[in-house]
Amino acid sequence: MTSSNMASPGGLSRRHFLGHMAATSLSIPALEFFNTLRANAADVRKKHRSCIVLWMSGGPSHLDIWDLKPDSEKNGGPFRPIATSAPGVQISEHMPNTAKQMHHLNILRSLDSKEGNHDRGTYLMHTGYVPNPTVIHPGWGSSCALELGSQLSDFNLPHCVSINTPGVGAGFLGMSYTPFMVQNPNAPIANLKPPGEVDEVRLERRLRMLSQVENQFIGQRQSQMAVDHKAVYSKTIRMMNPRTKSIFSLDSEPAAVREAYGKGSFGSGCLMARRLVEEGVTYVEVALGGWDTHTNNFDALSKRLLPELDKGMSALVADLASRGLLDTTMIVWMGEFGRTPRINQNAGRDHWPRSWSVVMGGGGMKSGQVVGSTDKDGVDVSDRPIGVMDMIATMTKTMGIGMDTQYTTPLGRPLKIVDGGKPLPELVG
Amino acid sequence: MIAREGRRIGRPCRVSAAAAAGLVITLVILAKPATAGDRPAPKPPMDAGSERENFLDPLLEAAWKDAGVKTAAPASDEEFLRRAYLDLLGRIPSVEEARSFLGTRESGKRVKLIEYLLNHVDFPKHFATEWTTLLIGRSNQGRRIDRAALTAWLRKQFAADRPWNDVVYDLVTATGSNRENGAVNYTLAHLESEAVPLTARTTRLFLGQQIQCTQCHDHPNNDWKQSDFWGINAFFRGIKAEEKNATNAAGLETYDHTELRDEPSTATARFERRNGMMGVAFPTFLDGSKIGIGDDVIRRVELGKMIVDPKSDLLPRAMANRMWAQFMGRGFVNPVDDIGPHNVAANPEILDALAVAFRDSKYDVKQLIRWIMTSRAYQASSVAQRAGGSKGGGQDEGLFNVMLLRPMTPEQLFDSLLTATEAHKTAGGRDDAKREAWLRQFLFAFGNDEGDEATSFQGTIPQSLMMMNGELMKDALSGKSGSFLANVLEQARKQRRAPAPYMIDEIYLAALSRFPTTKERNMAMQYLQAFPDSLYVLQDLFWALLNSNEFILIH
Repeated sequence: MTSSNMASPGGLSRRHFLGHMAATSLSIPALEFFNTLRANAADVRKKHRSCIVLWMSGGPSHLDIWDLKPDSEKNGGPFRPIATSAPGVQISEHMPNTAKQMHHLNILRSLDSKEGNHDRGTYLMHTGYVPNPTVIHPGWGSSCALELGSQLSDFNLPHCVSINTPGVGAGFLGMSYTPFMVQNPNAPIANLKPPGEVDEVRLERRLRMLSQVENQFIGQRQSQMAVDHKAVYSKTIRMMNPRTKSIFSLDSEPAAVREAYGKGSFGSGCLMARRLVEEGVTYVEVALGGWDTHTNNFDALSKRLLPELDKGMSALVADLASRGLLDTTMIVWMGEFGRTPRINQNAGRDHWPRSWSVVMGGGGMKSGQVVGSTDKDGVDVSDRPIGVMDMIATMTKTMGIGMDTQYTTPLGRPLKIVDGGKPLPELVG
Repeated sequence: MIAREGRRIGRPCRVSAAAAAGLVITLVILAKPATAGDRPAPKPPMDAGSERENFLDPLLEAAWKDAGVKTAAPASDEEFLRRAYLDLLGRIPSVEEARSFLGTRESGKRVKLIEYLLNHVDFPKHFATEWTTLLIGRSNQGRRIDRAALTAWLRKQFAADRPWNDVVYDLVTATGSNRENGAVNYTLAHLESEAVPLTARTTRLFLGQQIQCTQCHDHPNNDWKQSDFWGINAFFRGIKAEEKNATNAAGLETYDHTELRDEPSTATARFERRNGMMGVAFPTFLDGSKIGIGDDVIRRVELGKMIVDPKSDLLPRAMANRMWAQFMGRGFVNPVDDIGPHNVAANPEILDALAVAFRDSKYDVKQLIRWIMTSRAYQASSVAQRAGGSKGGGQDEGLFNVMLLRPMTPEQLFDSLLTATEAHKTAGGRDDAKREAWLRQFLFAFGNDEGDEATSFQGTIPQSLMMMNGELMKDALSGKSGSFLANVLEQARKQRRAPAPYMIDEIYLAALSRFPTTKERNMAMQYLQAFPDSLYVLQDLFWALLNSNEFILIH
């Protein structure tokens, strides 16, 4: 299927369309349809790179997870560090399972940004840019979907998926690259099938009628929004088949696997991310919320957040590694900022973008390292400040996307996917 | 209540009652039942509110001339009708409403339609819905927030044509029970985290100033300092919120409402500077005005007075820009609430003129709407003139020479679907409950301390799936008795001649507020002739129109 007819319900070829219809009635052509799909997907998977971002919404307390300060009297907090599978690398005692996977990952302990507001931090970490009233930057995941996903032919899934939250949108790249949101990974995707009385003949008729009015409106208005609407419908129609349903369902996973990941929205999201990456989805974000711990930071972390994170994250890394997918799948753990070294009067920590941690590994990068450091009290970066753009550069290079990739904004200005950042040589050679 | 002392609750209606009543009668007479063979009346001459010159027009024309852009042709009656209903009532017109407007050749009918809609019962309802979202967001705020009471309060204000400065003053200073005085819920919804969200939202919504970044640091691009943020924040010290219980029907003590009041306070706002030093802020307005200290000083009242101070142009400018954006798809300044020297307006002189006129009208919201809706910018088509040879068709988002497309809000979409399909008349259930259940599926709130939320409504795959295959669409198309499709079929059976063209016209008018083109009508006729089950064909046609970009994009 060429990109031009991908963009429209009207452009769906008859062969493709019948494939869908056959699929719904599970006849012989349906099997053929699936077989080609699988063959293509398997072929593509060999080279195709993917990225899974574990998004810690609210601003995770890095000092209690990745960069413990047991020697700091006032800032240290009650958690103790433990050794990990990476020699010399220590993390929180509440991350025992992830500790066994640290030889696959790297801790960047010296992130240095300026945005201590949830919105702005979320925007910065997803796009690499600070908000700017003149342009809405595309999320980095949407850029990946555009650069890599569009190379896949005959691909019926969205290239960019966000589980548990909507993620950051595609900015001026338009609705076509906006993440497909899975609100609840433990529930089936809603409304995937037309109502029973709408058979294939009727659905085809509906789509032809729709296509006519859509095209007429676009022809008159020439508006990006009208075109995007059609593109989204086209993608939606491509997803309307039983195969999609089974990919987004965790029912076929063995009980032990479900147990290992955890059955909450985060653990299930991580497991779904693995399934999607296996199918060739380019970018998957799995969110875990509740990190805005202005009060009772330590209770929230030790009782609720870290056990859930530890399970899901460790199971994901181990699973990808054992399936041979870790070499082509990059994992990035991050939030909008870290939290203050100072512990406030409510046993909480506040927003802190000045010196904090991000974790990444896989996708062929070197691993088992700590890059950068903060001082004894966790206040200042003592070695190797890392800017957000350096992180984006590292991720971009790992994904094999050209470092000089740039887009033209609606105002006609060039916008680089990597603007001024340098890939970390410790991770990408 | 202190807030209300010496303030007029209502104001005389600007439109003469007689004129308004006359108009209603005209439109009702025009809305006679349609019969088969009705055809669109020949296009009446353009009279797009042009009998009186709108003061914005010379300014807009000058801007277009300077930029050398072509102006789109005036909007067709069909475009204008649909846009006006969506913008003023929050829904598309019904078939009857569409037929009555499109069928009349009365002069000045667009101006009359605007007046009619401004006096329609759905106008305050729609504006109350929009402002509830702006004031407290769409997500569930917990049991302490009485969302319905706030919406009801807003509805009353818009219905009574209360001047905007009075409405804002009441919102900022509201006290008492959040059930009795719905305005209280605005403050109540943003009190957490030392009222940081209340500080940010109050300055953004009412003054068009984004000072929230200065919570943590001085603003990099303008003059706002960290102390400005906390100076405003200090006005919110002294607020007390208390939950009150009452005995319920079962004789149990349960939560009843929340009581909001102010106490004289000497508290300051303390904040941490970037260098780690603590800062202290006294209540200080953005222009540096301070307030006295004493037992008779209620800080929110002082803040309310400063916000509506006629000497400041922040309030009228913020509202003028916001309303322009609401009707035009884009403000003179964008984001609409980030007005200042660091963020220059596309056409500063037009925004100034509109803001001044709004203030001089004594903050008359309906008058502001009239100016916007009768301007050449609002009256322009969304179809751009093709500029010869050059790319882009001469469309520039900042110039308003072509009407920009805007997606409907979830509320507009929902109410429009109900208007078109009358699905709510089939189930016998309460449409409020249905509305809430359906809307909930779209709205997804983040749980962070800014109270921000992502309403992922425009064009995601889950939403398209819902539009194509969801429960509501299934109900809407079922042809059950009481529904629009059932009525169309019944009417068609009663027609002596040519039921097919009648049914097709009705479906196009219901979904798209226009008659089908000849090509469209012929195609639909062919389907009806080729397939024996006309209900299925009509369902499929209706489905296609309701799922189209033309339906969901306000044009």
